[in-house]
Amino acid sequence: MQIQVQCGCGEPSCPEWAVVELQGVAGYTFTVGYHELAGTKVTLKNPLLVLRKTKTNAGCGEQEPPEVELEVIGIIRHKILFKDRPKALISKPPTKEKKTLQPAAK
Amino acid sequence: MEDAGAQAEIEWDGGGGGADAVLGLAGGGALVSLCYHQAFGPHDDLVLLEAADDLLPDLLQGRVTVRGRPEEEAVLCTPSATYSMKFVGTSNSMFLIPPGEPSAKCLRPDSTNGDANAVAATIKLAPGSIELVRTAPRLDKLRSLLRERPYILDEDLGNDFQHMKGLYTWQDLCKLIQASDGELLDGLNTLSAVEIDGFWRTVDANSVNTILDMILHNSVLHDWPLNAMPENDVLSVMESDGFTHKIVTHCLNRFGTKVEQEARSFWSLDEKRVCLQFAQRVLGAGKMKLANFMDKWERSIPSGMRADLQMLDGEVLCEKLGAETWVHAFSVADLPLTPADRFAALFHERPKWEWKDLQPYIRCDLH
Repeated sequence: MQIQVQCGCGEPSCPEWAVVELQGVAGYTFTVGYHELAGTKVTLKNPLLVLRKTKTNAGCGEQEPPEVELEVIGIIRHKILFKDRPKALISKPPTKEKKTLQPAAK
Repeated sequence: MEDAGAQAEIEWDGGGGGADAVLGLAGGGALVSLCYHQAFGPHDDLVLLEAADDLLPDLLQGRVTVRGRPEEEAVLCTPSATYSMKFVGTSNSMFLIPPGEPSAKCLRPDSTNGDANAVAATIKLAPGSIELVRTAPRLDKLRSLLRERPYILDEDLGNDFQHMKGLYTWQDLCKLIQASDGELLDGLNTLSAVEIDGFWRTVDANSVNTILDMILHNSVLHDWPLNAMPENDVLSVMESDGFTHKIVTHCLNRFGTKVEQEARSFWSLDEKRVCLQFAQRVLGAGKMKLANFMDKWERSIPSGMRADLQMLDGEVLCEKLGAETWVHAFSVADLPLTPADRFAALFHERPKWEWKDLQPYIRCDLH
């Protein structure tokens, strides 16, 4: 079989996707900020194309296998990569000045 | 994810994914919130393909096809090159964010819109991507397909649909052979295949010999020099002898070179190619004593041509059995193309090889 790789967008206007990559399995979201992650924008050595596979059974008989189509729907040239271990942010760092313990206030 | 069915209907590909905001992050200052899109899910119909910059024009302008049968490993073909497709997984979490300005629908519809940050939404966690590795075209199958039904002079294919078995059009070959168009065409030329009535055929050896004999016979009859046979004359004489222009031209191309002179076309027969054909004919019955073979061969070739055993490198093998040297046909064109299979075939023929004998069979045409 032969599947033609189609691209409706053409070369100059292929829509660009973004990728956020976390090393390891993500167990947190970014919108809640108890962890701070340092990331960098990395240009990919080789761009990634986003392809969509569609199966069309357009009125074919039982003998015909379903036609598969592949379409390029986007390109990825950069990613935001987070690979350092997250740093825990504590909003009120404890004061370190030496104090003698005061007896409890009255 | 909650409802795979419902999520498939939520639009995510109309722009508005927020990739622009993420890509526009200049580091320091701008803040973008990332959330799960309402349509976040497996999206198994989306795949990532790693494409080197030199492949992008072909990929983005519809000049690429994926070829192979369902049970084979898929290959990706540009007009002139073939690439194997290997899925490479990642243990990282790769969140895909669709293109456009941020206006995404997050998973939690109750997220406060007092959030002043731009919101980008991811629709898929990619498990990896497909890597392309340049590979040799898989042409061994081409040879076996075309040998199913070689063209025979005066054949009658019949009109019955069943008689189409073993006959392949260019489109059929594109679907069955894992090679780019350019490499497929080269493969067909290497096999001396010819397109007749829309089907690509190899020509049966006896038919080739008949046509060649007739051309040579006519060249004597009409005084055509073998290095300057006038094309129009050859074609019209052969046509009156019952041979189509197409098949005659194919044979001229197979055994000669075309030369243009003063706006007329001439064909010059190639001594090596013609003599090889006669050598193969003489050895058709099996192995022969070398002296016997040389005698028969020299007497069969056209006058003016010279038979030299060196012309047959990679086509015949000589071996000493007792006091005698014997020779038999063993053509590099019949050997498998993949290196491992080729070596297996070579060592099956002969357990030990001298380098000078082996070399013609493992020359640069191996990938």
